[in-house]
Parts: sequence; structure tokens; C-alpha cells
Amino acid sequence: MASATESSVVRGDTSTYETIAALTVGLAAVLFFLGLAATVEVVSITGTLAGLPTLTALGLLLVIMGVAVAGFGLISYRGIFPTDPRASAGVVAGGLFSSLWGLIGALVAAETLGLGVVGGVAGGLVLGALAFFATALPREDIGSTLPAGALAVFFGLVFLLGVVGPEWSWSPANFPSSQSVTFFAATVAPFAVMASSLVVGWAAAKAYGGFGARGRHLGAYLLVYLNAVSIIAVLIALVAFVVFKGFGPVTEGVEIGLGVGPATTIGLFGFGFDVVWPVSWPFLTNGASLFTDITGVFPAIVGTIWLVIGAVVLSVPLGVGAAIFLTEYAEQGRFTNVVEIATNALWSTPSIVFGLFGAAFLVPRFTPQPQKSLLSGMITLGFMLLPLVVITAREAMIAVPDEYRDASAALGVSRWQTIRSVVLPAAMPGVVTGVILGVGRIAGETAPLLLTMGGGSFVGAGQRAKVLDGFQLSLSPPFVTNPELTQATTALPYQLYQVILTGTGQTAGVNDVTAFGWGTALVLLGVVLAFYAVGIATRQYFRSKLTYE
Amino acid sequence: MSEIESQTDGTARSSETTTGETDERIREEWSDYSFEGEAKLTVDDLDVYYGDDHALKGVSMDIPEESVTALIGPSGCGKSTFLRCLNRMNDRIKAARIDGSVELDGEEIYQDGVDLVELRKAVGMVFQAPNPFPKSIRDNITYGPRKHGDLDTGLLARLTGRDDSETADELVQRALEQAAIWDEIKDRLDDNAMGLSGGQQQRLCIARCLAVDPDVILMDEPASALDPVATSKIEDLIEDLADDYTVVVVTHSMQQAARISDQTAVFLTGGELVEYDDTDKIFENPESQRVEDYITGKFG
Amino acid sequence: MATNKQRDSDGWQSRLASRFARFAEFVQDTDNDAVAVGALGALSLVGAFVGFLVTSPYTSVFLAGFLVAVAYGWVRHQELAARGVTLAMTVSTVVILALISFFIFYEAWPILADRSGTVFGVPIPGLELFTTTAWTPAEASPKYSMLPMIQGTVLVTIIATAVAGPLGVAAALFISEIAPAAVREVVKPGVEILAGIPSIVFGFLGFTVLSPWASDAFSLVGQGTYLFVGIVVGLMALPTVVSVAEDAINSVPESMKSGSLALGTTDWQTMTAVTIPTAFSGVSAAVLLGVGRAIGETMAATVMLRNTPRVAEPLYNVFYGFDTLTSLIAANYGSSSGFQKDALFVAGCILFVSVLALSIGSQLIERRMDRKVGGVE
Repeated sequence: MASATESSVVRGDTSTYETIAALTVGLAAVLFFLGLAATVEVVSITGTLAGLPTLTALGLLLVIMGVAVAGFGLISYRGIFPTDPRASAGVVAGGLFSSLWGLIGALVAAETLGLGVVGGVAGGLVLGALAFFATALPREDIGSTLPAGALAVFFGLVFLLGVVGPEWSWSPANFPSSQSVTFFAATVAPFAVMASSLVVGWAAAKAYGGFGARGRHLGAYLLVYLNAVSIIAVLIALVAFVVFKGFGPVTEGVEIGLGVGPATTIGLFGFGFDVVWPVSWPFLTNGASLFTDITGVFPAIVGTIWLVIGAVVLSVPLGVGAAIFLTEYAEQGRFTNVVEIATNALWSTPSIVFGLFGAAFLVPRFTPQPQKSLLSGMITLGFMLLPLVVITAREAMIAVPDEYRDASAALGVSRWQTIRSVVLPAAMPGVVTGVILGVGRIAGETAPLLLTMGGGSFVGAGQRAKVLDGFQLSLSPPFVTNPELTQATTALPYQLYQVILTGTGQTAGVNDVTAFGWGTALVLLGVVLAFYAVGIATRQYFRSKLTYE
Repeated sequence: MSEIESQTDGTARSSETTTGETDERIREEWSDYSFEGEAKLTVDDLDVYYGDDHALKGVSMDIPEESVTALIGPSGCGKSTFLRCLNRMNDRIKAARIDGSVELDGEEIYQDGVDLVELRKAVGMVFQAPNPFPKSIRDNITYGPRKHGDLDTGLLARLTGRDDSETADELVQRALEQAAIWDEIKDRLDDNAMGLSGGQQQRLCIARCLAVDPDVILMDEPASALDPVATSKIEDLIEDLADDYTVVVVTHSMQQAARISDQTAVFLTGGELVEYDDTDKIFENPESQRVEDYITGKFG
Repeated sequence: MATNKQRDSDGWQSRLASRFARFAEFVQDTDNDAVAVGALGALSLVGAFVGFLVTSPYTSVFLAGFLVAVAYGWVRHQELAARGVTLAMTVSTVVILALISFFIFYEAWPILADRSGTVFGVPIPGLELFTTTAWTPAEASPKYSMLPMIQGTVLVTIIATAVAGPLGVAAALFISEIAPAAVREVVKPGVEILAGIPSIVFGFLGFTVLSPWASDAFSLVGQGTYLFVGIVVGLMALPTVVSVAEDAINSVPESMKSGSLALGTTDWQTMTAVTIPTAFSGVSAAVLLGVGRAIGETMAATVMLRNTPRVAEPLYNVFYGFDTLTSLIAANYGSSSGFQKDALFVAGCILFVSVLALSIGSQLIERRMDRKVGGVE
């Protein structure tokens, strides 16, 4: 029988306490950003904030915030506001608060009270257990808010009362002097502020939702949204920083106009004529030499291009061929399972292990003396790209519906013809997308190149790998050689690594190594992200085409 | 649809030229349809759009409490859409736009400030394909009350001696008995629900819904995925449920509707509610020619 | 009635016999020239491979022979040629993996043999590398040890997993379940772009910005900490966790989520009580793959660490960072030879085996997941 008391599905008027709870969340957000600003020293811990010494101001805000959220819990407990708390705040909240308070207890007992490691452990356990019971035993509105508010009040008072002042520092005694660490107020205080504001913000969001299932839902969503926003913010910060630092070096000396750029000779029917590019971009067209005043990354760009071409030429036919066999010809059984596991394992293998393999297996085999070479680099990167091509091609081919194959077979077309005319074209978009994304990844790889290909990297533009010109035929074995392929050379990621190794010293024709590094990083980032952008765009394009079919 | 002309068989039925005109008249006739007891749900001029597709056109009807209301009609004519409006499950579909009013016990459920959780506690739903959770049978039944905070069987509660295990066991037994499946699985309560047969899973889902003690139970073709034996068990169950709950059943099978329901609403192509009346009236002597054609199998 | 054992051994023998029979039939049925060309092609390929292994200058001849055979087969018997060529390609893929495993261990063997120890009279190769902690290649009696690097890799991986695991799963949940469409269009490509940033760029940023700041802020001796390398590596492993976990969460059937919501639960309750437990295998697989990615990360570690193998003291001192297995190899390969070089291969073996184990483990878990959810419908 349905319940006799009809409860309403409409929430009552909750605007007053919702406003207060929202304000508390807002205050927590403000404190979080203040803490963040203090980390990067936009706000100085040793200075002043709004006329007060920074730590005092932060301490004050922390105390206010802590009292607000704890007070909120008490008000809800007294029933002044309509909330719907559960009987307990739960094990998750209990565990979180007990760890936080346990840590504080351990540090205070060990260091402030000087009780050493044993005392620290004991203090941590005691305070941790207390916090757990304070959270999990009382009703949810008390248990969620009081420990959180107490944390903020604790840190707030510590700063307000000067227990930790701007000059405070602590160095753990049990660290050897050659590996000593010192914690300063300038690093610890912002961290404490951010941690408290996160915890209080979470509690306040739960309060906003009236505790219970809805409160926990809102609290969780707050944290999850914050997480996603932070990841994107970090990404933007990283890319923006590289662009900001690298833009200058990359665009130095760029000129646009007729006749400013380098000349290339085009031969037609025995007549050669020069075409002069209208754009001069020294950073991209120069190498490093004493004769150019703007050092460029041209040899590295050429190296990267050839590496990518070589890797694709090796791995795409091999990978697509293997995928065709696995999907279309082979029976699904132990063999295909083994190959699938092996391919997935290859895909996860660290790039340095590929480098070791290349160094052990490939480097000794192309020249009389073991020598690092462009060819070894190409093949190693090809091996890295191979599993991705196999996996992507297989997925793309499996996605082609069997109806297509059946229809073709019913028309009397042989299996290979079916694959060639029906399955492969349908699978191509997926394969192309996968290859583009894979190329983006290997274009940025450094570790394999260190071991198989890396040569000098501060070289003039003329010393780039001129592969096309290098092919030579001979009458004696091995009949085809190309010294350009068997030379060590440079590539963009490798170049950047060399910059880091060189440090701030001067070297052959490079005026400012750090700036050169930022420029190289920007070009590398641009090339790799361009591949990814094209890959993602093609995937979107093909997906949208498919959904309209 | 004007090509469906009435047969000149001499029965007292006016000839029909356009659909709209006669359906208007028919709607006026049955909109005076009155039944004993209170209306649990009142729907007024409900329109649903999926993007540009007008899936439900101006539907109005009152659903009486503690009875079985069947919604019948050919596939794609909006019965399930209508059902999903009653517990706002259509909110889950991004492209859906809903206009109109639905009142539960006189309270509008589409206004601001409605707590969807509370709404769905009062209006439960059983889906077309059984969807038990991959948990034990016991955990499936107690899921709703546990999540609502009415039942606490967690680790913490057990340690502090505040747990509701006994109440939980009683609840499980009661719900499974109501769903007529207690005897079959009473020894297997801790087994995974996914191991049950289709019919058992569906009755488990009904038991799970009953454990929340709703006022209204919505059922979207509850027996369509089941074999005839299981189907007849479910039908018996529905008839029993009507003693205590308001049941709204969408069904493809007219025979089923005729067997189990007290009143029937007929939806025809285009999301129109064409006729709504006592089940006997609909199946023996419907007002609308289109409904008669549908019931006698001329289309659909 | 034959016993099970007998039947099984009959099994593989009879299977092998039937395979041979089918092959013999195939050879008989096919045109002679096709068989001849096929045999020639296969032999040439094997010959080319062997020639490459022994660095014979005649390798190109064999390769040319293979290409000629394929070309002929393509023109005359395309169907068979296609099948044969694709089979060869598949076999090559397996061969490459086998080669990699083989060569890593082969190159590592000399030092493993040299530095073996005995446990209860059983000789274990390379035991000494795990029982001492000194790395002193330059001394008269050089000592090598994997332990400092293992400590480094373990510390970095733990910190990276603590970053990438929870944050990655939360982000995956956000993208799949919580974000409105417009926000998802920003966050999902954002995570993919994060995956695209090369590790050397992360290393460069860490080296020029993060390490100096850390040295200053914590008053450290020199530059390089496991803590900040761990955070950077965690950031790099994050997209791996997000994409695999997102796939797992998306594969939870909508009917199950609707079932939970229809009972009157909040979205968050549905996520924690139904969606994540159902997707748990996939989410664990995601975290395992993230761990594997963190273990294998090389360039950021190489550039930000000090590259002098020693043990950080106390063992949990994450504010100093010396060497991981990966950075050891990258920093030392060019300048090492003999036993030192072999020691690098030992590090490579450890890396290869641990990431292989993680990858296989996560694949097995994912297969279990497919079976579990597949049983729902």
C-alpha cells in the first residue's frame, strides 16, 4: 500500500540557507585562488595583502571560513534550516578527515612536541581516530562540517597567532645533510590554505544541497568539475608558456616581401630557373653555423620529416597487411589471440626499450663499423608505429559490417578482391586517422633517437640529410647504397635534448642556447600538435560522415 | 488516413471524411469520460518534440488511482514517450522538448523546484528489457531504500549496531512475495541477479520497484521480452498490484490490454491519443473508426 | 573408451596431421608455378632475414628475390599472393616482438652471468645487481647495482599513479557522464592534446622552470627531485588513464543507469553504485596502463634528474632524485661499454618485463569485463 502521508515532490523554499552556503563555497574558492597565487608568488607570503601581513590576512579568512561552515552544520543540526542529512557522514569522509588530522597529529607530536618518530606515530593515530569518530558517528550535517571547519580554523589560528610566521622554516632532522630538505612558510602556507579551502568548499557544497544524497551529489560534482577545469588550465598554461617563450626566437628575422627568401632551383626540360620564396624565415631555414647570425632548426626539421616518412613507409604496409590477414583470413583462435596480446604489449613497451633494441640489433648492421644512422632511427620508429597501425587497422576492418562482405561474395567476387574493393576502402578512414595520430606520437619521441640516430645537432643547414640525392647504384653487393641514410643526423626532439645537455654555454654559432631551446620546443610542439589536430579533425569528419549514412 | 472509409454495413456509424474533424468530436465525447475514484495523474495538453519530430500531440487524460490503465497502439506512436513523461525520464534525452502539464496528486511535476529523486520515489518504472544490476538479488531489492537513506546496512552501521539488516530481510521477502517470485529464489538471495532467467529477472525488477513503495508503477511493455508462461505470471501480478498501486502499462498486445486493464487509451500514428475509455467499451464498441480498425487488425 | 589424457594427445597429434594433410592437398591443388613462386618467395624472405642478421652484403639480393616472387605472384595468382604476403606480414609482427625480447636479454646476459649469486645453493644470475647498492663503473673493480634505479622508478611511479589514477578516473567520469555537450567538446580534445605533448617538452619545461623553483623553495642541494618528476610523469600518464577509463564507463549499458535513476537516485549515486562497479575491470585496466606508461617514461626523467645512481635517503625522500631505470639508459648509453653497457640492458629487461606484465594483466582484466557486461544483455 502506498504511503498514507503524501510527501511533496516540490522542494520547499530554501533560498536563504542556500545563499549562505553558496557564499561559503565562494569564500573557499577565493581562498583557493589566493593560495594558488601565493604558490607562484603573485601574492607574497612574506609581504602584505590588503594592508595586513599576508599570513595574518590568510589566517583571518581561514578562521572565518572554518567558523562559517561549522556553524552551518550546527544550524542544520538544530533544525533551523530544512536539510535532509543521513545518519552518518560515511566511511569515505571519515577516512579523508582521519588521514588529514592524523598527518597533522603526527607532525605536531613528532616535531612541535619533540616526541620523535614513535611519538609522532602515536599522535597521528590518536588524532586520526578522533577525527574518524567525529566524522562518522554524529549525524551527517555535523560530521561533514565540523572536522572540515576545524581544519580551517586550526590553520587559520596557526597563522594568525604567529605560530607559523613569514620566517618560519623546518628541516627534518633524519635527512642526511647531503640530502636535506627545508620547508618554508612560503611553500607550506599556500599548500595548507589550498587544502583547507578544498575541504571546506566540499563541505559547504554538501551543505548547499541540504546534505543527504543531494548534498553528496553536489559536493562530488564540485570536486569533479574542479578537477576537469584544472587539467585544462594546466594544459593551457603549458602550451601558452611554450608559445610565449618560444615565439620570439622562432619569429626572429622573419620577413615577408618579394625576393627576400631563399632561392630554390627548378629544372624543366634542361632549363633551370630560380624561384625566390617571398618569405624569409631564418629559424626554419637555417642551421647552426658561424656564418648565420640567426640559428635555425632546418637540419632537425629535415631529419624529423625523413624519420616520419621512413617509419610510415615501413610500418603502414606491414601493419595493414598483418591486420588484413588477422581479420579476413585467419580463424579466430589461439594464433590470433597470441598476436593480439603481443601487439598490445608492443604498443605499451617503453620507447627506450625500442631504442635499446635498435641500438643492439640495427645499428651494427648497416655499416662495416657500428654506426648510428638515420636508417636505424627510421626502422626503430617504424617498429614503434607498427602495433598502432595493426590495432587501428584491425578495429577499422572489424567495424566493417559482414553484410558488405556477404554481398560481395554473393556476387561471386573472390576474397582478395572483396578485401581490396569493399573492406579496405571502408576501413581506410579509420586507418588514416590512426596513422596520423601515431605519427604525431613518434614525431615527438626522443629516447629511441638517442640510441640509434643522434649525431651532432648544432650543424649547418648544408649538413642536413639529403636522402633523395644520396642513392647510389653499384655493381658489387650490396648493389644499392645511400650514405645519407647511414649517417647519424639530428631531429627536432633530439635537438631539444641536446640544448638541455649543453646548458647555458656557448656553442658553435648559437648565441643564446636557452632561447634557441624555447624556439625548438615551440617548433616541435607545433609540428606534433598539428599532426594531432589533423588526426582529430579527420576522425570527427569521418564520424560525421558515417552518422549521416 | 482518409482512405480508411467505414464499411457501409448499416451500423449506426456516421461516415467519416476527414480524420481531424471526427477525432475532435470523439475526443469531446470521451473527454467527459469519468471514472470512480480520484485521478492520480492528470495530464493536460502534453506535447513532446524530439528535435523536429513531433512525437506526442496535445495529449490530455486523467489516470485513476489504484487501477490498471493500458496504453495501446502501433509501434512508434508515442506510448512509451508518454509513459516516460510521467516520471520525467525523458529529461535524460537531450533532444527532447516537453510542453504541457502533468500533475501528480494535484502537484505539477514540470515546474521549477521539483526534486526528481522524490518524484521517482513516488512514480516507479519497470522497463521493457529486464535490467537488474550485476549485484546479488538481495542488493538489487534493497538498492532503492538504501540509496534513499531509509535503510542502513553499511559497514559503519553494522559496527555501531545501528544497522537495519532485519528490516532489510523483511523488505526483501515482502517485495519478492508481492512479485510472486519469493518461493523460486528464496534460497538464492545472495546469488548474482544476472544468473536468473528472463522472466525471473523481470519479476525481480518489479520487486525492486515495489521495494521503494511508490504510489504509481509505470510499465513499458513488461512482458514483451518474455515467454508465454512468464508473461501470464506477470499479467496476474499486474492485476494484483492494482489493489494497492496505480499501474500504467504500455503494451503491444491488445489481448493483454483487454485481459488486465480497467481502462485503455489508444494512441495512433503520429503521437495522437485517439480514444480513452473503459476497457470494455474500447474493445467492444469504440467510438472512433480508426480505433475499431486498429483493434480488428486492419492495420498496425 | 579412451581416457581424457589419451584423447588430448590424440588431439594435438591429429590436429597436426590434419594440418599437414590440408597443406599437402593445397600444394597438390594449386598450379605448379604458383607453388614454386610461393616457395621461392618464402625462402628469399627467410634468406633476407638471415642475411640481415649476419650482416651479409647479399641481403639485398635475397630481398630483391622476394620482391620479384611477390610481383610475379601478384600478376598471375593475386588471390594466393595476397594471402601469402599478409601471412608473412603477420608473422613479421610476431617475429619483431620475439626479436626485441631476445636481444634485450641476450645483450644483458654477460653481466647477469658475471654478477650471479647463490641462494640456498641455487645459482641465480645477476643476483649481485640486486643486493648491493653501489654504482661505481669507474673504479678499478667496478660495482653495478639496479637498486638505486629501482628505488627511483618505484618512487616516481607511485607519485605519478597517485596523480594520474584518481584525477584520471574522475576526468573520465566527467567526460562520459557529467559534462554537458558543449563542455565535453572542450575537455575531451584538451585531454588528447595533453597526450600529444612530447615528453622532451615536458622535460624541458621541468628542467627550466620546475626544478630551479623546487631547489629554491625547499632549499635543496642541487636540482632534481622524484616528487616533481613524479608529478610531471603523472600528468603525462593522465590521458592514458582517461581514454581507457572513458571507454570502460561508456560501455556500461544505458538501461542499467536508467534503471537506477528510475528508482529515485541522484546521478552521483548511480555513478558510484552502478556505473563504476560495473565498469570496474575496465577502470582498473586503465589505471594499470597508466602505471605502465609512468614506468616507461624516459625523457622527462632523464632531463630532470641528476643522473648519478645513488640511493635517496631516507628511502622516502622524494625531494631528491637521482636516476630511474629509464633515465639510466638514456643518459649513459652513449658513453658506456662492456659491463656498464650490459648493465643498461639489464635495466631494459626489468622495464620490458614489468610493462609487459602490466599490459597483459590489463588485457586479461578487460576481457573479463567484456564477458561480464556482455552477460547483461
